[in-house]
Amino acid sequence: MTIAPHSPAPIRLIAGLDMIDDDSLYLRIKAEGAVRDDAITELRETLLRGLSKSLNNRYGQPFNAEDVVQDALIKILSSLDKFEGRSKFTTWAMTVATRIGISALRRKYYQDVSMEAFNTDDGYTIEIAVDTESTVSDAESRGEILAVLQHLIDTELTDKQRIVTRAFLSDFATDAIATQLNMNRNAVYKLIHDARVKLKDGFARAGFTSDDVLEPFV
Amino acid sequence: MKLTHQQVSNLIELTVTTKNDSLGCDGCLELMDQFAQADLDGAEMPEALEAVRVHLEQCKCCKDEYEALIIALREIN
Repeated sequence: MTIAPHSPAPIRLIAGLDMIDDDSLYLRIKAEGAVRDDAITELRETLLRGLSKSLNNRYGQPFNAEDVVQDALIKILSSLDKFEGRSKFTTWAMTVATRIGISALRRKYYQDVSMEAFNTDDGYTIEIAVDTESTVSDAESRGEILAVLQHLIDTELTDKQRIVTRAFLSDFATDAIATQLNMNRNAVYKLIHDARVKLKDGFARAGFTSDDVLEPFV
Repeated sequence: MKLTHQQVSNLIELTVTTKNDSLGCDGCLELMDQFAQADLDGAEMPEALEAVRVHLEQCKCCKDEYEALIIALREIN
């Protein structure tokens, strides 16, 4: 096999990790002509095999691995300069492909899901229903904790934190929430996380440990 | 929106299990291939990647993605 003269040095020289098995595929993909074409076919088959196993029936969706792998290959080949050799090349490529595949499945799944959680006609509220699941022995502690929780939701969380928390509790994935609210996934995650921290800190200020809060509900 | 009992329980669990997360989804996605590699190799997890573990414990979206990734990698290795 001939590697084109401009091929880069083996990536283990860059990374310091032993990726001997994988160097060849990476180098062949960086080469030209038939060598490159064969390497792309090999990568394509590898991705197909992996994704067919990992994404089949996920989100209850029919999964067309061929389409996803096609999109993934385009992304991988245009992002080769971002591969820094910190993992095996196939691990990096599968990470890219998995993200593309799961995003496609989530987009389809959430097309048919009720968007009630995003309806703000009620003013972004989160209301805790009357507790009908308590027993005589835990009714007082549960009631106290739920009252504190409701107070913290009402007083500590911003409108945005309430809307993303509602959606999250309604089983929307973070990136589906991001799509609905025209935000990015990281920003949505941060809103949810900050809301969780505020609630946790609020309970601590009210004198409740995590165990105190959790125990009556397990 | 009125929460169901299950949603209230979920919110309480989310609240008490919250940990500091310096990474966020962007940081996690950037390091996910390295984390998966160390996981698959059974290598000792470098300290720099511990933040990925903390994020995965708290982010269902990234955790879902990571679980799928590991299944795919086990299939091809």
